[in-house]
Amino acid sequence: MVTKVLNWINYRLPIINTFERHLSKHPVPKKVNFWYLFGALASIVLILQIVTGIWLMMPYSNTEEGAFASIEYIMRDVDYGWIIRYMHTTGASMFFAIVYLHMFRGLLYGSYKRPKELVWIFGCTIYLVMMAEGFLGYVLPYGQMSYWGAQVIISLFGAIPYIGESLEIWVRGDYYISGITISRFFALHVVALPLILIALVFLHLVALHEVGAGNPEGVDIEEYIDDDGVPLDSVPFFPYKVLSAMPAIGVFGLVFCVIMFFFPEGGGYFLELANFEEANPLVTPEHIAPVWYYSPFYTMLRAVPDPLGGLIVMAAAVAILFVVPWLDRSNVASIRYKGILSKIAIVLFTVSFVTLGYLGTVTVTETGKIMSVICTLMYFAFFLLMPIYTSIEKTYEVPDRL
Amino acid sequence: MIKSLIIISFLSFSLVPNVNSAEGGPCKDYGDCDQFKPDLNNMASLQRGVGTFMKYCYSCHSLKYSRWGRVANDLQIPEDIFFEYLVPDKDAGPFDLMVAPIHELEIDNAPPDLTLVARKRTSSWVYTYLRAFYDDASTTYGSNNLVYPGVNMPNILAPIQGNQKLGCKEVPVLAKNGGEKRDELGNTITKEKCGYLKHQDGSGLLNVEEFDDFIYDLTNFLTYVGEPSRAERERMGVYAIIFFIIFTFLSALLYREYQKDYH
Repeated sequence: MVTKVLNWINYRLPIINTFERHLSKHPVPKKVNFWYLFGALASIVLILQIVTGIWLMMPYSNTEEGAFASIEYIMRDVDYGWIIRYMHTTGASMFFAIVYLHMFRGLLYGSYKRPKELVWIFGCTIYLVMMAEGFLGYVLPYGQMSYWGAQVIISLFGAIPYIGESLEIWVRGDYYISGITISRFFALHVVALPLILIALVFLHLVALHEVGAGNPEGVDIEEYIDDDGVPLDSVPFFPYKVLSAMPAIGVFGLVFCVIMFFFPEGGGYFLELANFEEANPLVTPEHIAPVWYYSPFYTMLRAVPDPLGGLIVMAAAVAILFVVPWLDRSNVASIRYKGILSKIAIVLFTVSFVTLGYLGTVTVTETGKIMSVICTLMYFAFFLLMPIYTSIEKTYEVPDRL
Repeated sequence: MIKSLIIISFLSFSLVPNVNSAEGGPCKDYGDCDQFKPDLNNMASLQRGVGTFMKYCYSCHSLKYSRWGRVANDLQIPEDIFFEYLVPDKDAGPFDLMVAPIHELEIDNAPPDLTLVARKRTSSWVYTYLRAFYDDASTTYGSNNLVYPGVNMPNILAPIQGNQKLGCKEVPVLAKNGGEKRDELGNTITKEKCGYLKHQDGSGLLNVEEFDDFIYDLTNFLTYVGEPSRAERERMGVYAIIFFIIFTFLSALLYREYQKDYH
């Protein structure tokens, strides 16, 4: 009976074929390491953000007078509203943490190498949209940091010559941040960007399934196939890869719960303390700092004395990620078989990125300024020198099989 | 191994408090804030705290995001007693917000709402601030505060705490290595440093220890009202963590079993 119904549907809508193609018969490399789990975790957090977001939307008030109070209403008067909100705020930080690790995996094992350029580009676009989504969402509670953070970010547009000032007004919808700004940010945060995000994630996955998942060895598993055309070094995605992700989901859930239930403010990094005060255009907070996941780019912005220059550097830092597939000239994908230069480069890159992140959360000092300039240069050097060091270094031979 | 290191590094990253980033530290001239450990399951303390708040603070400060009924219920105070003895506004009902009469008048520079003060400034700050008032004839109200220099608030608890003045005391001189400097006989070398709070014994209703307890209860209540679900959150968290530990363990076993198929 069930088979009959399924066949009836499948004749009209390819559900069985899709299930087989993308799950039960989709071949994935049988040997990967923990770095390959963050993609699955990212999709779980995305779903979590969407579901908690829908519930938060119900009691949230997108007005200048009501926004801040409605968040407190959620925290106090809505049954289990606090858990939904903390899931969303913790989820936002965890989403970025996971995506950063996921992207770092890409750099480590060359997940952008031919033919995976589009997978990488869709991924970078997802990251870009996430940054916008996170910023818009941070404004919605309309606390002091929401207001002043938005003030800083929107004023960046003002640095653009000629059109800057009009652009600022266009983005805000007003001459200053007001209820109009909140309601448009709300629309973008809950409808426009999530739609784009879902579409991009879909494309990211379709492109990935078309070219096949990578592995830490950088071996092309398609080279050795059995009589049915299935790679010998692969296992079906379902149930094997799903099961391998389960313990990771468990550990992730554990970390998530420790933060959400015991440190929801993340020591002031996930929820900034100044945001527990309603936005006040007349009082500037002592120290305006972005949430931790933007801080590397914020430091780059501050490293350049000129606002327009800072904006260009910051934009370039994200834009340069898109062209990585064409910067890497190495004949191997994985860091395991790359030469010493690539290994040094990635270590320096990691150190500079983490340092930039740290510097963005503290007040500017003289040493901090110098450090931020050095780290910004190191960040760009990693990418701009990539065509050179990946082509001159001696690489190691990649094994045939996984 | 690497996985656990990453997790640990993430956790430790999230635990480093970010509150000290403001210039001079959050407790300003007082130095480091006195550490405050809330006890949100101590109903007696919270009940004393709300009593103190209603008696001394509520005439000027609202808790405008909090509702009467929720507080009565959470603090296990029967509603009839709560409304009879603690709520001055006789028309107030359990679903009304705790807005002080002063905030119903539209006045400039009204005293701030305190619902979220313990979250915004931390409980330790509140606990330190409330104990750091001292006499200062140069100000409008004749008092000042080490934690919040120039604060525009009278020292409302002065009759209870008694007189506190700024004084000097001998403090050890620190050597370059951070240790105390000593003379040849091994005695600590000291110097006089000023700007310390000096309490005049017997000048208030309570002695220093009793007053600290009194402020503890009030701070505990303000911590509660900043996030009324906190006690429940921490209770639930334990179960959620146990669940994920079991989940991880079982799914790891299942994964190992399936892994045998291809190894």
